[in-house]
Amino acid sequence: MAAQVPTRLPSKTRVQKVGLAIAIVALIGCLFIQVPGLEPVGVRMLGIFVAAIALWVTEAIPLAATGVGIILFQVLLISSDAVLPVPETAETSASFFANLANPVIILFMGGFMIADGAAKYGLDKNLAAVMLKPFRGSARLAMLGLMLITALLSQFMSNTATTASMFAVVIPILASIRDPKMRTGFALAIPVAANVSGVGTPVSTPPNAIAVGMLAQNGIRITFLDWALMALPFIIVMLMMAWLLLVALFVPKGVPMELNLKADFNRSPAAIVFYLLAGGTILLWMSEPLHGINSSIVGFIPVVGMLATGVMTGRDVKQLSWPVLWLVAGGIALGSGVRATGLDAWLLGGIDWGSMSAVVFLVAVALVAVVMGTFISNSATANLIIPLVLGPSIMVATDDVTLAVVAALACSLGFALPISTPPNAIAYATGHIPQRSLMLVGAILGIVGAIFLALALPPLWAWMGLT
Amino acid sequence: MKLAIIVLEDEPPVRDAIARDLQEFSGEVRVEPAEDVPDARELIDEILADGDVVALLLADHRLPGETGVDFLVSTMDDDRMASARRVLITGQADHADTIRAINVGGLDHYIAKPWDPGELHDVVREQLTNYVLDQGINPLPYLPNLEMDRAITAMRGFSLTD
Repeated sequence: MAAQVPTRLPSKTRVQKVGLAIAIVALIGCLFIQVPGLEPVGVRMLGIFVAAIALWVTEAIPLAATGVGIILFQVLLISSDAVLPVPETAETSASFFANLANPVIILFMGGFMIADGAAKYGLDKNLAAVMLKPFRGSARLAMLGLMLITALLSQFMSNTATTASMFAVVIPILASIRDPKMRTGFALAIPVAANVSGVGTPVSTPPNAIAVGMLAQNGIRITFLDWALMALPFIIVMLMMAWLLLVALFVPKGVPMELNLKADFNRSPAAIVFYLLAGGTILLWMSEPLHGINSSIVGFIPVVGMLATGVMTGRDVKQLSWPVLWLVAGGIALGSGVRATGLDAWLLGGIDWGSMSAVVFLVAVALVAVVMGTFISNSATANLIIPLVLGPSIMVATDDVTLAVVAALACSLGFALPISTPPNAIAYATGHIPQRSLMLVGAILGIVGAIFLALALPPLWAWMGLT
Repeated sequence: MKLAIIVLEDEPPVRDAIARDLQEFSGEVRVEPAEDVPDARELIDEILADGDVVALLLADHRLPGETGVDFLVSTMDDDRMASARRVLITGQADHADTIRAINVGGLDHYIAKPWDPGELHDVVREQLTNYVLDQGINPLPYLPNLEMDRAITAMRGFSLTD
């Protein structure tokens, strides 16, 4: 049966109409006004930036549409092929379009192939079933097991896909829990674990990719392993904190619980080729210091290998989350445009950065990212915040890597509302979670996590020699 | 957009009993009882005018006037209804009626009267899930009314971003 063809356009809320109006005014207005200290291309980039904020905040159009819209307007207004006069130094339209195939997008495509293949061959659910085995006996232990497995899966799958897979596994468990409070706790454990810990690699979540992509534009290459080492202490602490909070609030001591999940690994030749390609890719990602092959190049291997062997088909390629890739591409294009036109210097020039302490600045960045990420998409938050924070790092006594990683990780901590992240939306829609429980847990972990992230991790990274 | 279930049954106590057994389907799902085929057609117009969709037809066979099977067959030609899931809940459809319902009425399931409420729940849940997944509708708002494992697994495909 064919899917329904839309007959009417999606209706817009009042907020969305306002967002759309601001975006249109910004895009047209920037052609006519002059701003002291800013070249005409800078003013046009300012218009695009304001429009992007309005559209990403209100979601007046789909997030990915804003992503590709940024690229379109950059081509039309500031590239060497623009319809208006531009300086001779302007980059060609091809270089703006190239953001759609930025190395970090290629890296992410590899991640998507692995994640979608894991779902296709049932690897995610089987791994969950096997790894839950040691966590039997008590309900508190079972919850820890669920959270650890969610955390592990979400290193290579998006938080959203992880939550979907894990819920499919735990629905029978939820149904067997009589105590509604405990059921809330278990239903919360999955999105909370996916949100706080799904940040361990550049492919875990789009904000990480955005940070890696924007750092690369500044000439800073950050390897897969570097990222994993920087994020690991954060994940361990956050996950333990989340578990302790959830058991304290929802799971009484000494409640017995048996989790009997059957693993039934697919042993067909196609599945085995998939396991080998996915496992090989992850090994190559982690061993970059040994062979020196950049993680984006490695990420392209499963794309080619899985298509060539037929373990993934053209149909699977069609179903990859292209809108997510375009959202990230739009963010990277925005970052490069903001820098190339001198907009970042103009925006941030008015602030006396020299007098600001690095610690205060990091805490402020982390808290702003958490608050923004609570209300709008985490990826859109990263797209808007990271290009701006990379500007003042020269003036504040800290470095680009620290700032970008703190900002990216903080974006993932904004999850106090059902609308904050899709994992929350999924968990909330199951009907097992009262909104106030989600808000309580999300707010505590978000704020404490942001402060921990900004205060404790930068010195640790410096001590580990990573920054 | 709500998913509507039409319960077509002429005997008031039976109709009420079915509606009562479907009480747990709520929120973004509306259960609409109809007493005969003209009544059901009127209801369908109302549902569509509200911007909702008819997801499931739950029809008795023996009705005054047009039969339940005739109704199912007639809705197959209606673009607005062709994709709805179809369940016959009856004790009185003979062999020929049943064959017709399957071959040209797009029947998805047959429930014999007297029905078991547990079975009715399961069938309705399954058919609503089939409808949502076939139509490519985002299952999120309907989750409590669907087979959760299938619906959640399908949600991966809705390109939600972290």
